[in-house]
Amino acid sequence: MLAYILSGLVTGAVFAVMASGLTLSYAATGVFNFAHGAVGFLTALVFFELNVGLGWPGWAAGLLAVLGFAPLLGYGLHRAMFRGLAHAGETAQIVATIGLTIALPALGLLIADLVEEPFGLPPADATALPHGVGPYPAVEVAFGFDSDQVITFCVAILVAAGLWLFMRHTPYGLRMRASVDRRRLATLRGIDADASSALAWTLSSALAGLAGVLAVPVVGLDSGAFTVLLFASATASVFGRLRSIPWTFAAGLGLGVVQNLVAGYADFAAEITGLRTAVPVLLLFAGLVLLNRSRERVAGSAAEDAPPPDYLADLPVWRRRLPWLVSLAALLVWTFTRPADDFYVGVVAQGLVLALIFCSFVVVTGIGGMVNLAQAAFAAMAALTCGWAFASGWPLPVAILVGVLAAAAVGVLVAMPALRLGGRILTLATLALALLADQVLFQVDAFSNGTIGWPLPAISFRVADTTDPRVRVVLLLVLIGLVGLLVRNLERSVSGRAILAVRSAPAAAATVGVSGPRTKIMLFALASAIAGLGGVLYATSKGSITATDLPAFAGFVWLAVVVLQGVRRIGGAVLGGLIAAVFPELLAGWGVSAHVGAILFGTGGMILAKHPDGVLAQLAEARHRRRARRQATASSSPAPSPAPSAAPATDALSPRGRAALGAVPENLAEPGRAEPVLRLEGVVAGYGDVTVLRGVDLAIHPGEVVALLGANGAGKSTTCAVAAGDLPVTAGAILLDGDDVTGRPAHRRARAGVLLAPEGRGVFPGLTVEENLRTWLESPDPVYERLPQLAARRTVLAGALSGGEQQLLTLAPALVRPPRVLIADEPSLGLAPLVVEQIFALFAELRQRGVALLLVEEKATEALAVADRVAFMRLGRITWTGPRSEVDADRLTAAYLGVSS
Amino acid sequence: MRRELVVLAAVVALAGCAAQQKTAPGAQTPGVTDTTVKVGGVLTKTSASGYSTKDAELGARARFERANAAGGVHGRKIEFVGAEDDTQDAAKGDAAAKKLVQKDKVFALVPVHAPNFGGAVFLEQQGVPWFGWATGPQWCGTRTGFGYNGCLAPKPGAGSQTWWGNQMADLLGGASGKTVYVQTSDSSGSKYGGKTISQSFQAAGFTLVGLNSALPGAAPPADWLPYVNKIMTSDGGAPPDIVVSIIAGTKFNVGLYSALKKAGYKGVLSDATSYDAAILKDPATAMALEGVVAAPMFEPFESSAPEIAQLRQDVEKVSPGATLTQHLAIGYWSADIFLKMLEQTGRDLTREKFLATGNGSFLYENAGFGKIQYPKDHAEPNGCGALVKLEGGAYRVAKSMKCFDNVPLK
Repeated sequence: MLAYILSGLVTGAVFAVMASGLTLSYAATGVFNFAHGAVGFLTALVFFELNVGLGWPGWAAGLLAVLGFAPLLGYGLHRAMFRGLAHAGETAQIVATIGLTIALPALGLLIADLVEEPFGLPPADATALPHGVGPYPAVEVAFGFDSDQVITFCVAILVAAGLWLFMRHTPYGLRMRASVDRRRLATLRGIDADASSALAWTLSSALAGLAGVLAVPVVGLDSGAFTVLLFASATASVFGRLRSIPWTFAAGLGLGVVQNLVAGYADFAAEITGLRTAVPVLLLFAGLVLLNRSRERVAGSAAEDAPPPDYLADLPVWRRRLPWLVSLAALLVWTFTRPADDFYVGVVAQGLVLALIFCSFVVVTGIGGMVNLAQAAFAAMAALTCGWAFASGWPLPVAILVGVLAAAAVGVLVAMPALRLGGRILTLATLALALLADQVLFQVDAFSNGTIGWPLPAISFRVADTTDPRVRVVLLLVLIGLVGLLVRNLERSVSGRAILAVRSAPAAAATVGVSGPRTKIMLFALASAIAGLGGVLYATSKGSITATDLPAFAGFVWLAVVVLQGVRRIGGAVLGGLIAAVFPELLAGWGVSAHVGAILFGTGGMILAKHPDGVLAQLAEARHRRRARRQATASSSPAPSPAPSAAPATDALSPRGRAALGAVPENLAEPGRAEPVLRLEGVVAGYGDVTVLRGVDLAIHPGEVVALLGANGAGKSTTCAVAAGDLPVTAGAILLDGDDVTGRPAHRRARAGVLLAPEGRGVFPGLTVEENLRTWLESPDPVYERLPQLAARRTVLAGALSGGEQQLLTLAPALVRPPRVLIADEPSLGLAPLVVEQIFALFAELRQRGVALLLVEEKATEALAVADRVAFMRLGRITWTGPRSEVDADRLTAAYLGVSS
Repeated sequence: MRRELVVLAAVVALAGCAAQQKTAPGAQTPGVTDTTVKVGGVLTKTSASGYSTKDAELGARARFERANAAGGVHGRKIEFVGAEDDTQDAAKGDAAAKKLVQKDKVFALVPVHAPNFGGAVFLEQQGVPWFGWATGPQWCGTRTGFGYNGCLAPKPGAGSQTWWGNQMADLLGGASGKTVYVQTSDSSGSKYGGKTISQSFQAAGFTLVGLNSALPGAAPPADWLPYVNKIMTSDGGAPPDIVVSIIAGTKFNVGLYSALKKAGYKGVLSDATSYDAAILKDPATAMALEGVVAAPMFEPFESSAPEIAQLRQDVEKVSPGATLTQHLAIGYWSADIFLKMLEQTGRDLTREKFLATGNGSFLYENAGFGKIQYPKDHAEPNGCGALVKLEGGAYRVAKSMKCFDNVPLK
């Protein structure tokens, strides 16, 4: 028993190292990297070629691979892909990393193939026998552990300790954790979140590489085995709630022990084939359901996946459909001019089978916004059920129906627990289910008929049957057409609108009585049924179905193919299916290595990082742009307005706009005073198509408090965000000490001395009081001297402080290291009067020390007490500025009610 | 909505037309001219797991080259178009078979050596003969799929091999009182293998003390301790006399054997995959596998049989210095049996005639693979095998190819 635990810890050490990297990159960047195992494989491949191929000693090869190659790879991927993905939707993120999972090993193996002959390197296939980093062959050290095992365990412990020190006790670690906790706030504190991400990817990649090098003498150069390793690591990460590295590490070690104990004691599981193999997967699913209920999203929706604009909205219906109808006609004409045993018609038919399965992604992902990795399992489920039913003597049409219904039923079963989870957690849950189906359900001999599988006849329609690929092409086109109609009606129907409502605003939908879970379950069931129908047709056109025909991993690749074309429309699914079937044939015909196809496919992920809505949307957008440009040149209008947000800009610069601003500039330039430290000139800004600021001019001098007052929605907070660089401007300029800083990002403005205390509380709730202070200060001691109540709570998480303490913590660093400009957005909101007094005393002190303060308040009384000057804001413009003494009740009323005085 | 229905209706109408123009039966046999017979193969050349059978292409080519050098078969030379790669993906295998038949117009598929081959139903339906290593059930019970050593996945009730157990009994001087432990991994395929091999040893008189399928199938465990503990106590608290490993992959076997030796195991180790020259290149692996008795299903390359000398010579001619591997032998003998069948069919060659010859009490004996009988071996293995022992870092023939009677599979 003890021996099992000890040796389990060694196995667990590899899981732990890999899982720490996974958690680190997810927590720091929000991208769950499915390619983490592939990075490990690639590093192990480099290690193998250096060590076994070129004869380097194990430690040298290991060092170069783990500390040289892997970090570089991580950084390169960050630059090429992950940076763009951080802002893409969840689907694009998942798909892009799945693409990498396929492309990276293929790239490595292709290069290994190419250099094998000229450099006399050993082949990197199943015959390759990689060594460990220690002496080779491994020598026994103690208690039956050999040198490789001891090295693995020691390195893992060292890495764990090093990682902990790095994250807890270095400024880099602090910045990374701050970026994870509140990315936006971190940039306002002068932390370059992008640089933190780059560091996180570099580090995470090194960890994956280390795990790969440690694991490769045991698992061999098998990229499939590394994917298995990734799934086990994902389990550990999930138990670390995808946030905590120490917990992830512990879970990794624990997983190794559990696997050993199951292998040693769980003999009762021997009856069910695959159950013991599936232990990590079972734990993954349990962990997801129990530990990771989404707090942010409801019913599995990914609300940030906003649909792209309909670029073709201005085209007539016939014009929009024309390309598809012409292609359809061309395809049919071509099909019927070919003989019945034509190879390429068969390929097209196969592509259409895939297209039908892919249509299910349009329903569940395109409309429902849920990323489902279990689609291959649904297709296999239907096909196997259909095969079983047919073999049991049921007529084929009934058997097909039974198969499709079985898939739909399983879809509902999967949806029930999964829907409580949101976003990526849902995706991981479908992944776990897909693997479970592969490893356990389809291994049940009675269901899948062992490795033999079930034979299925062709579908016969009196005059013809589906052994003729031309009949299959027509049948599939009809079915896809019907699914297309179904999808369109779904989108237009009441239930369809309900689904879209749930997707874009789950909370709002719930309040108006739209049932999220019910519509989601319906979508899941429908998508599963479509995938199931596709699976049955796949089986009938192949003539048989076995448990290994539609492996879980195929489902991942399918999703990637569809998303690459565009998952919101049937067209994307059809194009995806045809490409998936035809492209490999073309490559093979040209004598290109199969690796090249995989690499090309993987680079699709990089396209997605730039165009998350796929190729079709990209084409439509390009055409839209071209047309807009043509119209612009055709019309004589001097200023075509591509975006509506640009219109107010011209308005602001027009004579009328200037007149509305009145004498503001003169008021600002008070004679005899120093130059303003911060100055906004004609700033126009907004969110998306909504313009909020319509030409704001404002100046703040050193040692001066400017109170910005105005009604709710006047644009006060937006002004703050623009001043701090948190929101880009569409027109106008922002000057700091006379220098134009309009183009500088928030973290550089913060470093230059512009500190924004945002609305709500400007603290990192996941960091301790001390760590919060350190994000702005070298040493927090002076703060403790000034504010003993914070000193007493230095080790408490900021999230656990009272509102008043949080606000003190937000502003305290400014006392010790005064910024040039402090922008406080609603600092007194929701605080007790006593605390408010304390806060305003603090502002007074800062003013004395020469800080320029911009104070935003909805409630005017407190602000007016400390203000030197006052600016009133209304509807995105400054309507009046003047000294505090000139503010009276009339002016206040006018400012808030909009009555001109 | 109505417009879409019109389009659909038009499409359906066209489908009717499709049915009208069925092609007339071919006037000429595909892939056969007066002077040539075209063949091509499907192999798993690349795969995610690194498993590769690509050497079978070289084996087949070597055998065809000799036939062509001797003037071909009935005046027809073999035009070998090479082998497609199915990447261990059933759908790709199906597509590859269709490509060879429909686009390249081959007469037959030689060699087919892909563990997850997906083109079986298509080939059977089209009546295209295919030759290779019949490790999967898709081969069995067909009239077109010819495994070079029969069907290795017989159904319950059909014959199952006993040669492994019998050869081992001969090697050890009798089976009585000796115990055997069979280790497989946790998948239906591997479990099936475990069943047939346990039966083989039991038929030869060994006592089965354990059949364990706990090993995870996807990747070797990092830690062998739980599995080794079970083995070392399986024979009433003592280790068994023989441990048979039915797990594919050198990594698995190296791990298991090293752990067993570390635990003090002194008995016999046997498996089907350790006969691989690549192992000898790596001294540590060779050391881990030292003493293992591998069970190839063809006459070992170290044999003095003239057929093997011929094989070496043929391969040397096509690819000087090539390493002889299991997959190469499989490709070679598959091609050899195809040529034999082609010769017996005669000058007048169609697929129907060819299949009639193959399935009409075809019998061919050869020291290289034992003997093959069709149609009998469509349903069961040929029952022949050899044993090779790794001793002092080199393979030695322990038992030459010999055939034993099959017993019905339980």
